Amino acid sequence: MDNLSYLFVAYAIIFAVIFGYVLFIWRRQAALEAELRAMETRMRALDAGGIAKAAEPRSGS
Amino acid sequence: MVTTPFVAVLRKDLLLEVRGGQSTVALGALSLLVLVVLVFAFNPGGGEQGAEAAAGALWVALVFSGMLGATRAISAENENGCIRALLMSPLDRAALYAAKLAAAFIFMAVAEAASIILMVLFFNLEFDARVMRLVPAVLLGALGFAALATLLAGISSRLRGGDLILPLLAVPMFVPALIAGVKASASALGGAPMGEFALWLKVLIAFDVMFVAAGYLLFEYVAGEE
Amino acid sequence: MNGRAVRLGLGLITLALMLAALYMVFVYVPTEADQGIVQRIFYFHVPCAWVAFASFALVAIAGIFYLWLGQQVWDDLGYAAAETGMVFCTLVLVTGSIWAKPIWGAWWTWDSRLTTTLILWLLYGGYLMLRAMAGDSEQGARFGAVVGIVAAIDVPIVIVSVRLWRTIHPAVLVTRQGGHGLEDPRMVATLLVSLAAFTALFIWILCLRFVTLRMHTRLGALARSLALAEAAAQD
Repeated sequence: MDNLSYLFVAYAIIFAVIFGYVLFIWRRQAALEAELRAMETRMRALDAGGIAKAAEPRSGS
Repeated sequence: MVTTPFVAVLRKDLLLEVRGGQSTVALGALSLLVLVVLVFAFNPGGGEQGAEAAAGALWVALVFSGMLGATRAISAENENGCIRALLMSPLDRAALYAAKLAAAFIFMAVAEAASIILMVLFFNLEFDARVMRLVPAVLLGALGFAALATLLAGISSRLRGGDLILPLLAVPMFVPALIAGVKASASALGGAPMGEFALWLKVLIAFDVMFVAAGYLLFEYVAGEE
Repeated sequence: MNGRAVRLGLGLITLALMLAALYMVFVYVPTEADQGIVQRIFYFHVPCAWVAFASFALVAIAGIFYLWLGQQVWDDLGYAAAETGMVFCTLVLVTGSIWAKPIWGAWWTWDSRLTTTLILWLLYGGYLMLRAMAGDSEQGARFGAVVGIVAAIDVPIVIVSVRLWRTIHPAVLVTRQGGHGLEDPRMVATLLVSLAAFTALFIWILCLRFVTLRMHTRLGALARSLALAEAAAQD
């Protein structure tokens, strides 16, 4: 393997690793945003349920 | 009679050991085994090469036995819940650390004395002034390792499967003292002039100062609430 | 969102500096006389090392603030710095190894800088394993802070002892020349631009990772409140 190949491999690894890590972070971010949206849905359900509950006649005395 | 908390905890640990604890014996046995393995591994000749191999073997034994010792010292109290009692008492965390450190150091020092004797026997050295020069280096190394391991064992003993993390953290952190200790020991055993030996000893002293201080200050964050 | 704009801005700055650095490394700077073109690895290898060490200091500083103030944000910063620093530390070792092979004939030389970086890598690894083992807990954050601080105290002594080890006992294996004996000012300029590029890259990636950790922390708190509210709503 000649010197140019070594140079190429070194820089290729640098870019691959950095790109890979950024990709990893990006996917984490996407998963967290999905989780956030799921929670927002639950919160809206709570709000709606709360309003409906308040309108219901209470059970018991 | 008023005793400081430091003395009280230290006395407790030492008494437990003297009255039939197996820690020191186990440490000594482990050191012996490590030295035997290393003799087989390196098949050392005499002379300077023998001195280098002997120095290295001695310090490997120190590290191995130190890790065992630190784990035992800390986990012994976790076993019967004694640690909870200690922490609920108005005992200063730093004093607790100092006591644990002193106990670990004393155990290691005893194990090291045995190791030095075994090393001289196994590596065909002489019981002369050169071996005596080893003693300060080994004591400083033991103190540094005890300081490090006591703090880290506080962490590892509180984690499930923490036994693995102690060597993983302790060994890289100990590297500077290991280098200094091995080099100091090799130069002492090789009969080299004092200059180099003194230099490495200074490194060991610096290491000890930093890690005893760090352990003293940080132990409360490790041994905090349960 | 303001945060988004900042991250985008940092990313663009990074891209610009990186392109400039690449141009300088591959077009502008002259080939070194002794080592040939392989020497160009140096211009990205050294900045990675600078970033790895700086990030480690950041882990320790964040740890100090976390222990002192008890705010989760400091732990998030410390963890982000540890993970990011680990990536760059790995790159130092890999590029150093690839550089060593054609020049000195061995994949690994125990020269003082590479050896110190190896110890740093092990310390980073220990920190990350500890955090993985302790999980997502206050205890994990506290232990991490302690380990980060102690390890950072260790690094200067490692540097000194390894350097003494290598100079008093010159290696049987080849020792590397000090990499900063750069005669040509173009080489110095290229190195400086590369340093700037990697600093920008580090800050950008650190921000990205930090933001995900903050979000994770906040979502955790939100999930707990949400669960409580939902439980209350059942009654």
